[in-house]
Amino acid sequence: MITAREIYLSYDKNRFIIKKGSLHIREKEFIFIGGNSGSGKSTLIKSLYGDIGLKHGELFVDGQKMKGISASNLRKLRRDIGIIFQDYKLINEWTIEENIMLPLKINGYSSDISRKQALNLLSHVKLSHRKGYKPNELSGGEQQRVAVARALAHNPKIIIADEPTGNLDDYSAEVVWNLLKGANEQLGITVVVVTHRVPKNFGIKFRQLSIEDGIIYEVS
Amino acid sequence: MKSLKSIFSFIVPLTAMLITFAIFLFTTKVVDDYKLKISNDYSIVVVSSLPLVKDNLSEFAGIKVKNIVTLEKNKIISNMKNNLSDKSIKLLKQRLPYFYKIHLEKYPTSSELNQIKLELKEIKTVKKVEIFSKNHNQIYLLLLIIQKIIAIVFVVILLYAVIIIAKQIKIWFYEHHEKIAIMRFHGASILYSAGTVIRHAIFGALISFVIVAFLMILLNENLSIIFPSELQNVVDIRLSINAELIKVFILSLFISISTIFGVLFKYKLNND
Repeated sequence: MITAREIYLSYDKNRFIIKKGSLHIREKEFIFIGGNSGSGKSTLIKSLYGDIGLKHGELFVDGQKMKGISASNLRKLRRDIGIIFQDYKLINEWTIEENIMLPLKINGYSSDISRKQALNLLSHVKLSHRKGYKPNELSGGEQQRVAVARALAHNPKIIIADEPTGNLDDYSAEVVWNLLKGANEQLGITVVVVTHRVPKNFGIKFRQLSIEDGIIYEVS
Repeated sequence: MKSLKSIFSFIVPLTAMLITFAIFLFTTKVVDDYKLKISNDYSIVVVSSLPLVKDNLSEFAGIKVKNIVTLEKNKIISNMKNNLSDKSIKLLKQRLPYFYKIHLEKYPTSSELNQIKLELKEIKTVKKVEIFSKNHNQIYLLLLIIQKIIAIVFVVILLYAVIIIAKQIKIWFYEHHEKIAIMRFHGASILYSAGTVIRHAIFGALISFVIVAFLMILLNENLSIIFPSELQNVVDIRLSINAELIKVFILSLFISISTIFGVLFKYKLNND
């Protein structure tokens, strides 16, 4: 599903954030990527959805070669990915229901189907009663639950999450982990999560990678 | 309120440009109408020793010949009949050359007129050509100058308007940058992501069109108040309002959409 061979990532010419990084993630796997702050975790996952280009090496995501990927192929790839950002990245002028509908509409679903799916997901994240609210009217934990619902809405092949529980209270964190576990176990979605701390007693099979000084290690 | 203010910054230059365009359309209509009127009244007189083959004379100086009227010899002679004997009239009839009045489809400029004279004189049988250059219409020349000046002013305002509109669209892109980026992360095309900006621009274009359309209709319905009746006796200054409104509408949408696409293209180049 995701293969990286000796990739180099950087924001400028002089300093590589990821150096000679290699990894292989199979379909339906649940992967945690750990490491200290500034180790390059977020940079690595940004490269998976084409937000940062490769300097050297080869990276394939869902069979798509990322180096030199065309704009139209990148759009197609992103439609098969659900992304959860640390800062949620919800559209504040829209209701949370409309936010969840976004990937569905981009994937060409009708408004009716998109709305039904959004309402279904809102009940999963226990926010049905707030469907007409705008994101900035919700707490951080609630916003992240909306972001998770949005990432799941179009039944993607891969979910990429950057510190999804970093700023959350225990209850919201538990809801988020349960949703991601459910997506992986029940829907067979490949999940890649960047996190400082892997939750204890996670309950499902997972693999853990770590990044130190720009080098990717297999932990378990 | 903020949204209204930002739409206002888009509407003002676009409306100014459309008003200039409407004035340009109006002057073009007046000039064309006046040109038609004087071209109907205008003709060149040609004197030829032998009859002219009219089919060979279809165009002069790039201007098509509308028709060639042969002046009746009898009519010319009848004007002088009183002073001449029958014998002289008979002799005159034999010796009198052929007279023609050439009507052109378009009213010629002074230089075109000189060119026409040269071309006619190249015909061997043509003895004399009278182009009535002294009567050549100075009002027409003045109108042409005014029309050209308005065309130049329109082009200048058009350029300024496009620059200001492009800047406003860039501001909208900046305001919606976060939203556009989120949509693009989810695989939306640039067109889909910029939907809000495109809707703002189309809305602005429609508002501008409505303002200018209202002014044009108002002007067209009240021409007698604005312009002296003498002018209206000379030319028909009423606009074909439907046709002109369509032109203004197309220009309004074209400028808005083409500017949006220009900015979108630049945005895409910078962000892809």
